[in-house]
Amino acid sequence: MTSTTSPARAVAAVTLLLAVAAAHLLVSGQPLGAITGLLDGAADGQAEKIVWELGVPRLLTALLTGAALGVAGYVLQATLRNSLAAPEFSGVNPGAVLGILGGLTLGLFPADSAAGALLAALAGGALGGGLTWLLSAGRDPAGLVVHGLLGSALLAGLTTMLLAYQPSRFGNALRWLIGSVEGRVWEHLAFASWWIAGGIAVAWACSGMLAVLSPSDDHAASLGLHPGLGRAIALTLAIALTAGAASLAGAIAFVGLAAPHVARRLGGRVRTVAVVGAIALAGADSLAQLAGQLLDGTHRLGIPTGVITALAGAAVLIRLGRSQ
Amino acid sequence: MSAALGGRPAITAGRPLAPWAAGLCLTVVALAGLCLGTPFVAPQDLLGMSPESIAHLVVWELRVPRVLIGLAGGAAIGTAGLLLQESLRNPLAVPEMLGVSTGAALAVSVCVIWTLPVPPSLYPLAGLLGAALGGLVTIAATRSGRSAGGVLLIGAAVSTGIQALLLAVMATADRLQYDMLFRYLVGSLSGLMWEQASETLPWFAVALPLVVLCVPALGLLRLGDDAAASLGSRVNLARLGVLGVSTLLIGAVTGPCGPIAWVGFLAPVLARRLRPDAGARGWLPWSAALGALVTLTADLAARLAFDPVETPLGAWTAPAGVLAGAALLRRRAAS
Repeated sequence: MTSTTSPARAVAAVTLLLAVAAAHLLVSGQPLGAITGLLDGAADGQAEKIVWELGVPRLLTALLTGAALGVAGYVLQATLRNSLAAPEFSGVNPGAVLGILGGLTLGLFPADSAAGALLAALAGGALGGGLTWLLSAGRDPAGLVVHGLLGSALLAGLTTMLLAYQPSRFGNALRWLIGSVEGRVWEHLAFASWWIAGGIAVAWACSGMLAVLSPSDDHAASLGLHPGLGRAIALTLAIALTAGAASLAGAIAFVGLAAPHVARRLGGRVRTVAVVGAIALAGADSLAQLAGQLLDGTHRLGIPTGVITALAGAAVLIRLGRSQ
Repeated sequence: MSAALGGRPAITAGRPLAPWAAGLCLTVVALAGLCLGTPFVAPQDLLGMSPESIAHLVVWELRVPRVLIGLAGGAAIGTAGLLLQESLRNPLAVPEMLGVSTGAALAVSVCVIWTLPVPPSLYPLAGLLGAALGGLVTIAATRSGRSAGGVLLIGAAVSTGIQALLLAVMATADRLQYDMLFRYLVGSLSGLMWEQASETLPWFAVALPLVVLCVPALGLLRLGDDAAASLGSRVNLARLGVLGVSTLLIGAVTGPCGPIAWVGFLAPVLARRLRPDAGARGWLPWSAALGALVTLTADLAARLAFDPVETPLGAWTAPAGVLAGAALLRRRAAS
């Protein structure tokens, strides 16, 4: 494994991130002048305000959500020793979405409360993960994915029931079901961005522990790490990150599955997977914006980002499934 | 009503009571579907209502077609599930998880939402096309992976991809109708009237003789590819035929009801459980009857649980189906 701290890689990562960010802002349909005009530090003029109030938060949401999902997937795959473990296949992601919608339905928190949504997503994510764990209790980790699929289908059924119960309450049911980073503004990001950044920092600090845990329990124990404790910490971290992502963007599929594979192929760990996830989701959202414009902008919603990630992820998953 | 379900098992040696019990359950559930709700109509009043009353209108214009479509659709989806599971010899072959139901839902919703010039009576054909395409993608993708879990995984990937397209199509609608969204995501019987019933029921009449034709092929496919081929039969042709009939059934159901989630999996599993040694021929009528029973029961729950709000039927069948799937996996792992 090559060192992840080599300057060339860091430069490449930063360049790629900047390129994706620039592309993401450029395809939003605002004139180039409005984007470069922001560089002077003040948003003057309407176009610049639009970019600052809508375009930039959307970009940040995509980057943060992608990074969070990527790291969560990486942590899950390392801890459960299963290359198909991912937030969406362990019930955590659908559970988090169900938690948010359930909280909204029961009136536990106001619709604009970021912290409330996050807490509800945490509770739901833990519930979903716990459900999958219950379904697959006593099974080998390889069977976990099939059980995770079943658990996710169960949670999706419950989510549909909730949505059908009071559709008008959720503003836009689709955005939660498929996942979308559209329409997020600075207020949404204020809390979740710290949460996700903190979670990724903890994951980075734990990357040594993950490396010890991933070969086998005996390996971890012989190196002085209590495997149960380590796994509990790692799973909590994964749930926290997934919940943060879900509270921002709903059920974005497959980034958490595919990003760790790419990162491992690049020989990287937590930081690489965060960058890969961020680039993947920002790129997918750029494509979604572009496709939305090609289909002429009259539609209410455009193309949700989750559609692009689901389609790309399905292709990845088929390749993985065939190599099983 | 339940007598319309012509699926009495031919071979029920040993337990002659069971068909009667199933028929009784179906009758009770169908009657409950006709009577319960607002306004409540007592069973003995069903035939004696004055034609001008609101109750008469509600029962004959709303509830009767709904129960009829539920019966036929549930039976069809149960049968289709059994045909899929038998022909692919995979007990985890769930129509939703093979891209078949989702493909049909995508095709029909495209016709509805983009208002393509397709007459509603041909929606089953569009559904058939979509179901066949979805199934073909899955089969093409699973060429090498043959374990039950692997097929499920790849099918889930295809289904998720197709469902993403479905949601994208929904997102392009000028005014999103939640009713439609939930119908094509998980299945729902809400808002079905005689118009839809008259467009759909003939397709089931067409499919019924085809299903009967499938019965000999099922016994053949059970033998396994090698044994069947050594007997000189064209295995692939038989399998293709059975798969074709099941996609026809699924396509016909998806038009009015959406993919009735997981019933295509649940009904055959229950049928096998009830009649462990009946063989495919014996399971077929049972799958149909149980599919209708599960669908009607779930529809009752969907209609009445959060009255006056209607929830989609599929949201109730999915948890039931998933739990059955988990139990099945557990048993297989234990054995």
